Amino acid sequence: MTQTSDLDRVSMIVLRYMRRPLFALLFVYSVGIVGMALMPGHVVDGETTRMNLFHAFYFFTYTATTTGFGELPNGFSDEQRLWTIFCLYTGVFAWFYAIGSLIGLVQNPHFIQAMDGFRFAQKVERNKEPFVILCGFGDTGSLLARGLSDHRMRAVILDADEERIKALGVRDYTVAMPGIRADAGAPKHLLAAGVKHPACLALIALTNDDDVNLKIAVMARHLNPRLRVICRSTSARHEANLRALDNVTVVDPFEIFAQLVYWAITRPELHNLNAWFVGARGTQLGVPVQVPRGDWILCGYGRMGHWIQGCLRAHGIGVRIIDPDVDADEAGESTIIVEAHADHSALLAAGIEDAAGVIAATDRDSDNLSTLLSVTDLNPDAFRIVRHNSHENQVAFDAARADLVLQHSLTTARRILKLLISPLVQELIDWLAEREPAQTQALVARLKMAVGAEPPHLWSVRLVPDEAPAVAEYLNAGGEVALGTLCQDADAFPESLPCEALAIRRAGQSIMLPDRFQASGEARIRWRLYDDAQQEPPPRGWMVSLARVDASRRSSRGRGRRRSLGMASPVGGWACGADASFPGPRNRRSGGIRTRRLHHPAQSLCRWPRPGSGHWREVS
Amino acid sequence: MNLERVVFGFFIVLTLSLNVAFVAGSIEMASYHNIWILTFAIIANLVAIGLKLGDRSQTGALLLASGLVAGLLLIAARIVWIVAEPAVGGAPGPDDMADIVSIARGALVANIIATVILVGDTLLSRR
Repeated sequence: MTQTSDLDRVSMIVLRYMRRPLFALLFVYSVGIVGMALMPGHVVDGETTRMNLFHAFYFFTYTATTTGFGELPNGFSDEQRLWTIFCLYTGVFAWFYAIGSLIGLVQNPHFIQAMDGFRFAQKVERNKEPFVILCGFGDTGSLLARGLSDHRMRAVILDADEERIKALGVRDYTVAMPGIRADAGAPKHLLAAGVKHPACLALIALTNDDDVNLKIAVMARHLNPRLRVICRSTSARHEANLRALDNVTVVDPFEIFAQLVYWAITRPELHNLNAWFVGARGTQLGVPVQVPRGDWILCGYGRMGHWIQGCLRAHGIGVRIIDPDVDADEAGESTIIVEAHADHSALLAAGIEDAAGVIAATDRDSDNLSTLLSVTDLNPDAFRIVRHNSHENQVAFDAARADLVLQHSLTTARRILKLLISPLVQELIDWLAEREPAQTQALVARLKMAVGAEPPHLWSVRLVPDEAPAVAEYLNAGGEVALGTLCQDADAFPESLPCEALAIRRAGQSIMLPDRFQASGEARIRWRLYDDAQQEPPPRGWMVSLARVDASRRSSRGRGRRRSLGMASPVGGWACGADASFPGPRNRRSGGIRTRRLHHPAQSLCRWPRPGSGHWREVS
Repeated sequence: MNLERVVFGFFIVLTLSLNVAFVAGSIEMASYHNIWILTFAIIANLVAIGLKLGDRSQTGALLLASGLVAGLLLIAARIVWIVAEPAVGGAPGPDDMADIVSIARGALVANIIATVILVGDTLLSRR
């Protein structure tokens, strides 16, 4: 038995459903036409004339559709007029019935759903641009979609909630983002969304249900083992399951949140650098938050609270917990625990006067905000970190003026976007987190020198024949290119571009913070083809992550607060900004460029910056 | 015995019979060919098409296709008749009549195919 789509099945039902009105029309027409042809007309020359069948059909057509031309082609006899009355009533009612059935059919919810599914699958199939599949369009999902849209990356969106998909319809994304109401855990919906599509870069499971996310990840792995899967998960059991699968990245919003809180408290310079990379509002490079030393009061000991406490304890920071139903065994022996809601008395009991700060991390925004008010009353010097749950309360959190507001949907979306857009940057942050703060401070100083304090524009360049033909040719011919050469400005040679190389990835290995003017060693880029004798995987080019100031971003500042992930948008990339005659990144694909031979390898970099495209796939 | 099957078979065989009744006889002589029979053949054929709608099987698809071919050709023959009919009344001339009947004979082939499928399907399912 061949597989049939929903549309096939539904269209068959539609046809069968249409039988009845069609038969009604056919019957009424047949009786009317035959009757009209049989009715005796006027007597001419002693002979009764009759309407022929064609004229009867003509007459019935204009009568049944209520056009009513009159008595054509000749005047009617009384018998014919009698039959006309019959034809008129039956014909008009038959038409009403048929049209009514048709309208009812078009409004049938199953039919509409099948048509939507069909159109959606068509849209995905015809799409040639790279895209990601986004399962779940909640707070995190919509933030991520906005971020992807800012980077001109397409997404296909699945959500089980009709209202969310309706909400998707009124967004003004820069690229097409087809969405459909469907259960993403069903393989047929994943297939319709393009799991096997060659342009599909990744699948992101962001539904609120961990079971569903696991199911999506497993289904996707079976359907297309090569597809990268990013999966949101908050339960340890699922995580263990997911991490066992290769090509699956698990993103735990609570873990990310706890990590950010921990960085903010113990590694302010790293937190500052990370916030600057993602373009968080109000972040200035090299001006980290000043966090006092001492014990912290953690209000709320749920899943998030567990992560935060675990993270801070592991690094030797004392935590006092305020939560109405905390389990003393779980929290550890020496921990101070106040079993109450985080109000005045509870904060006093936890010793707010000598605490370094408060982390209001319950899952209720009203509780967190009221805790902030109490803390301001009791100890104005305490550092206040607050968890912001629902996007609706944004204005209240802005007004609360906490020292650090963390919204877990936003932090999760930013992390995923970083993984998709510039995976090496996240690697770099993790790399720095494992090293001395001095290394981070040195990098910050370097970045300030090179690009200034403006929000950066991050992008990756792949030195592969498809994307940088001139460099590839030069390297193939035995030439060597240092990173510093690539960073030179082709228009103002030999001046350097205001950019800084953050990381290089080659043949599965990453080099962090390469020295751009190193004459030899790792950072020197050599092009070598696959060497059979050495049995090593073929190097598939380099990926260089760079940061620079985005000119277009500076000019577009203050265009009103938009719910944005903040990662700089790639529009008006520097190729366009530097010289209008140069093809920008958007029309790079239109061809013709590859035929232009470039003399200096650095020129290639200037002409083919591809910010915001999913490069990691080829490189890994 | 299933009434639906009876009605289905009735209209398919009726179409074939009416089609044969129309095309039988000299191809040019109008007196052998009755316009009423052609009209009824078209109506019977349309009913048969309606009955064939909504069958998802391979046989059903072939039946519907042959029904559509027969309907198309019969309606084409009827239109030629309308155009060729003299304004004063009477039947079309021998040339036009030959056209009409040959088109209707084409429809006959499609109707025979439909009937053969129906009969064959019925016989096979008997076993």
